[in-house]
Order: sequence, then C-alpha cells, then structure tokens
Amino acid sequence: MTVPGADRIPVLVVDDNEVNLRLTRVVLLKSGSFEVRTANSAEAALTVLAEFRPRLILMDIQMPGMDGLTLTRLLKSKPETRDIVVVALTAYAMKGDEERAYAAGCSGYITKPIDTETFGSEVVSYLGGPLAPPS
Amino acid sequence: MTAGERVGEGGVADNDWTERRHMDSRFEILLDAAPDAMLITDPQGRMLAANCHVEELFGHPRHEVLGQPVQMLLAERLRERYTAHLRRYSAETATRGRQRIGTRTPIAALRCDGTEFPAEVTISALPSAGGPLIVLAVRDTTEQKILEQELKARTAEAEQQWRNAHAASRLKSEFLANMSHELRTPLNAIIGYSELLHYGRAGSLSEEQHEFVSDILNSARHLLQLINDVLDLSKIEAGKMTFRPEPVDLDRVVGEVMDVLRALIVRKGIEVDYSVDPSLTGIVLDPAKLKQVLYNYISNAIKFTYERGRVRVRVAPEGAERLRLEVEDNGIGIEPEDLSALFTEFHQLDPGAGKKFQGTGLGLALTRRIVEAQGGAVGVRSQPGAGSTFHAILPRQHRLAEGA
Repeated sequence: MTVPGADRIPVLVVDDNEVNLRLTRVVLLKSGSFEVRTANSAEAALTVLAEFRPRLILMDIQMPGMDGLTLTRLLKSKPETRDIVVVALTAYAMKGDEERAYAAGCSGYITKPIDTETFGSEVVSYLGGPLAPPS
Repeated sequence: MTAGERVGEGGVADNDWTERRHMDSRFEILLDAAPDAMLITDPQGRMLAANCHVEELFGHPRHEVLGQPVQMLLAERLRERYTAHLRRYSAETATRGRQRIGTRTPIAALRCDGTEFPAEVTISALPSAGGPLIVLAVRDTTEQKILEQELKARTAEAEQQWRNAHAASRLKSEFLANMSHELRTPLNAIIGYSELLHYGRAGSLSEEQHEFVSDILNSARHLLQLINDVLDLSKIEAGKMTFRPEPVDLDRVVGEVMDVLRALIVRKGIEVDYSVDPSLTGIVLDPAKLKQVLYNYISNAIKFTYERGRVRVRVAPEGAERLRLEVEDNGIGIEPEDLSALFTEFHQLDPGAGKKFQGTGLGLALTRRIVEAQGGAVGVRSQPGAGSTFHAILPRQHRLAEGA
C-alpha cells in the first residue's frame, strides 16, 4: 500500500557511507510511506534543512567532520528545528553509545544492520502515530 | 693480645666490668660470636673493647682502636652530633641502669681507608661500678641498601608492566569495538540488499537466483553473529557488558526464542516442546541476555540432533532463590573427554563435525560468561549417541552490583 504523495512522511537520512545511505533510502521508499531526502554529512544535512522540513531525521552517529550527536544537540537547541524527531541509526559498538544518543536528544536508537522488513514501521513508530503497513 | 689487656693499659681497669671480663674469657667468645661489630665505650666514647667484626668492618686492627674515641668510626659530619647525644644521655640516665639508647639508627660509617658505608647502630647502656658504659652494635647495611634499591626498581618495573598491560587491554577492547563497528557498516548493506532481493522487493528472481541470494544472506547473517559474539566476549572480558534486569514473563521469553527458531525447527523436522514451571513468578532478569542463553542452547540442540529428533526445554525452580533452564536433546551426544572444554572459547568438537554443524565455537563460551556474570552456573551431561542435557542456573532476581 502506497500512501499518496501529499501524505508521505518527510524524512531526512544522514549517513557518511553512501552505500548505506542509498539502502536506507531505498528501503524507506519501497515501504511507500516516506518522502526521503539524504545528506552524506552533518554539514550537508544543515544545507538540506535550510529548504526541507522533515518530521524525522535518521542520524548516523559516527561521521567525519561534525558527528551525529553534535548535529542532534544543535537541532534541539534551535526553536525552529527542536520539534524534528531524531532517531540514531548506528552500528552499535560501545557501552554507553545508546545512553549518549538519548542524552543528546535522540528519540530512538536503531542499530545496523537494519531489518528491511520492519524498518519502515519501526521508523513510523517513533512519530507516535499509527503504524503504516508496509507496501 | 686481647682487648682486656689494652683496656688495662688504657687506664680504666679500675671499674668492675674490666675486672669481671678479665675473670671470664667466655665474655670475649660471646662478643665475637655476635654477628655485628660490637664495641664497648666509656661515657665519653672511648673504646674499651671491640670484637673481631670491628676489624673486618672498619679495617682498623683491633688494638689500634682501643683507647681511641668511637667517633673516629663515624663519618666526620656525624661526630659532633654523636658526642652531644652521649652527653645528653649521660646526664639523663646515669642512674637508671641498662637501657636501649638507640635501635638500628642509620648512620654513615667510616673505614680506615677513608671510605664511607651505610650502617645501622644499636646503642645500649651497660651499668658498671665505675659508671655506665656504652655498648654499640654496628651492622653493615650496604647489601640491604642494594637489595632495597633493587626491590624498589623491580616494584617500579612491575608497576610499569601492569600499567602497560592495562593500557594494552583497554586498547584491545577499543580496537575490537571499532573493528566491530567497521565490519557492521558494510554488512548492513550486504544484508539489506540481499533481503530486498530475497523478499522480491526488487522484482522476481529465478529459482537459482533466489537460491544464490539466500546463500549470500545466510552467510552474511552468520558473519554478523560471529562479530556479535566476539564483541560480546570482549565486552565481558573488559567488564563492560551491561545487564538491564526487569520483570520478565518466562513463558513469553521462551516462546519468543522458539518463534525465532521456528523455521529451523520445521526444516529439520525436529519435535521441540517446552515447559515453564508455573510457580516461577516475580522473575527479574535481563530479557535480552536470557534469550541469548536460551537461543544458544536450543539452536545448539537443534544443530546436533538428527532429523526428526526431539528437543525438550524446561524451566524449573532450583531452590527458593534460583531457577534452572534445561535443554535436552536426543542428538549425537558428547564424548566424556570433550565435556570439560565445551564451554571454552573457540572450542568446537571434532573439526569434521564443525564443518557439518556450522557455528562460531563461541556460543557456549559466551553463554557461560553471560550466566556467570549474573552469579549463575552452567553445566552439561551427555551420553554419546544418546543425547545431551545442557543447563544454566540463574538467580530469580538479578541484582546489579554497586556501580555496575
């Protein structure tokens, strides 16, 4: 089931790994519930955010340059971006990573590798709305 | 020539100590038998008697020192202080009888060739009719000082080694964590795209293509499991594994593990049943870790059981405070000599069997570590050809240690 274009959830995916960035985008697009924009760095994300207002950001944590948590804190400190839901999307490694993500202002924490079957509904669940069935 | 004769010539033969010593040569033997250089002086420090070690230690022939001030055996800078010390002592304790004046006081002693050496001196008063005398026992501490310095150096060295080892261990943990992160990043794409193809999200595949994609997917998931196990083991080793105990419904947890393994159970045509003792309520454990233990045991049991075999899972009370997970199979079983090594890292029985029953060889070691980290224990009994029963005993309520 594909949601009509106007009702699709605007999502920004930030990941420095281009292959994974494309995978996340493809999985979200195939679920039919999302309008997807991507950025391959925190700096690029800020440029996208200047003209695109997502409801949710899927944020890689470890990135060269500004890292995902710094960007999250920055977005949470500004009134105009404070309400965007940020979900960390990372290859979990060390104890405390998850706690740090929540402390920075993330609303959720998804570990790679993602489950392509459930990923779309998992993302929607962080918006607090009804679960969109996969297409 | 004896010390006594010199004393006599020194003009202090009028005290009763000299008289008695003259009468008893056993005294001299006694003095020489002491391990230290022994000296007897008058209250001003004039040497009246010296044992054989004085000559060995200071290099002065015994007869040369008698009648001389004992200060000559001290480093020049210490002499005045010793003289003052003697004066003060004489004024205070002349009438109080035998008493320790100083015990193992470190000094710089002076040999006849002008060289110094570290020593300890123990000084006592020796009462006599002609007034109190002074007994000095001098011990060369050169060797002791060398030993002390060596010990200090060795201790510092050991501390440095410990610090190095500690740093190396931390580096190893960080390296493993980073490596795990780096390995997962490409695996995310491999597993993700394989899934998209496998589940027909990118158009339909021929039967052969589907088979190939399945193999890619299974191998990638196996690789992921290996990475997870290695990371978990390194976390446990570094004391960094976190437990989040919460109230758990055992029936549900076991059921969820069964759901994950359903496909494998069906494929091998194995009969699996499970029972949870209904009296087990109020359980507080980390559900993810509990599932990991159950998953490892049950998937192992399935792996090592013939097609159309049987696996039984039981959760039962173990005393009032603990519970017992048991997974019984009627599979290939384990030889008695292999039982002890079963729960150690990278151990898989018989390399031939390892190929047939693909696994990481880490599952049971990890299970043991996870169970033991919660204050529990693991075990197995087995009969080759008849089957095995693995168990884990866990507290019903896992309480985290302070600061954990």
